Amino acid sequence: MTKPIAASTALLASAFLSVAAGAAPGYSADPQQSRLEFVGMQAGAEFKGTFHKFTAAIEFAPGDLASSRFDVQIDLNSVDTMDKDRDTAIRGGDIFDVAHHPTAHYVTRSFTKTATGYAAAGALTLRGVTKDVPIDFHFTESPAGAKLDGTAKLKRLDFGAGQGDWKSTDQVADSVKINFSLVLKPKT
Amino acid sequence: MPNQDSPGRYGAVAQALHWLIATLIATQFVLAIWADGLPIGAHKLALLARHKSFGMTVLMLAVLRLVWRLTHPPPGLPTGMTSVERVLAGTTHAAFYVLLFAMPLTGWLMSSAKSYSVSWFGLFTWPNLIGKNEAAFDLLRTTHHLLGDALFALAVLHILAALKHHFWNRDDVLARMLPFAKLETTKSEKRP
Repeated sequence: MTKPIAASTALLASAFLSVAAGAAPGYSADPQQSRLEFVGMQAGAEFKGTFHKFTAAIEFAPGDLASSRFDVQIDLNSVDTMDKDRDTAIRGGDIFDVAHHPTAHYVTRSFTKTATGYAAAGALTLRGVTKDVPIDFHFTESPAGAKLDGTAKLKRLDFGAGQGDWKSTDQVADSVKINFSLVLKPKT
Repeated sequence: MPNQDSPGRYGAVAQALHWLIATLIATQFVLAIWADGLPIGAHKLALLARHKSFGMTVLMLAVLRLVWRLTHPPPGLPTGMTSVERVLAGTTHAAFYVLLFAMPLTGWLMSSAKSYSVSWFGLFTWPNLIGKNEAAFDLLRTTHHLLGDALFALAVLHILAALKHHFWNRDDVLARMLPFAKLETTKSEKRP
């Protein structure tokens, strides 16, 4: 009986403190349970890639969108499309060019409430090119933290991810879908 | 040209399937050998995508062809052939049918094992038959290549045999598979 009360008191207190400090509660994505994937299209068939290593610092409060912020760092070397030849090609100079740009970086700028969830305006930096990539997501609070599920769509050629032969979209489509599901733990 | 197979020659459907599949298979060898010599890249993937689309076309045509063959008995062999030649001809043709299925299927399995789904000319995607498996891929690739070598050897034998029948035996074995050739003789035996 005392536990829920204590927890809600703590929650109230932290919410109050957050509001007082003008900051949404901070979370970090649990690397074990979180997923960051992309779906590309090659020769008319979809292929899925996963980034095994990324860090996501999430500050989000449904009631305080103004001070919410996502900051995601993706280790491009950790790409895994279930085929080492394809992974090697993607890491290579013509696509991700991990030798010169080992990480991709996503930062939000603003949030809006949508009919089904939230939308974020933000910018992705990949291969040294920064472009706007909007994301759509759902945010679900839980006793242990929160869950963040969302999607985005980008054009790989906007970032130069496709040089030489890979510039052609005959084989590899320009459009790439991004899916993510983050299990968020409160920042300590 | 009659649609049905007659005792003397193959019908239009059997001929169309034979030449269509033969052309596709010849193209498959060109695409495969060309792609094999390229480093992994967009060009190689483009050739292999075409190879897979043609391969799946062969598989679909092979189903049609097997059904057609089972429901439409082919014309009989020329009377002058020895029993050894008959067994050889029967075995060669049976092996062709096995390879018509085995080649596309091992290719499809190969793609599945490497988690490269097979698209049919970008119109739709075939389901993966098995999950990602590096060891299975290596085994399937070797099998696909060996079966390809066997198919090539068989095709050479088949073409030489057809030419031998035409120019040496001077029978209708080649002509009866050609749409416009006139049958010179009626030496083919009637099927019971």
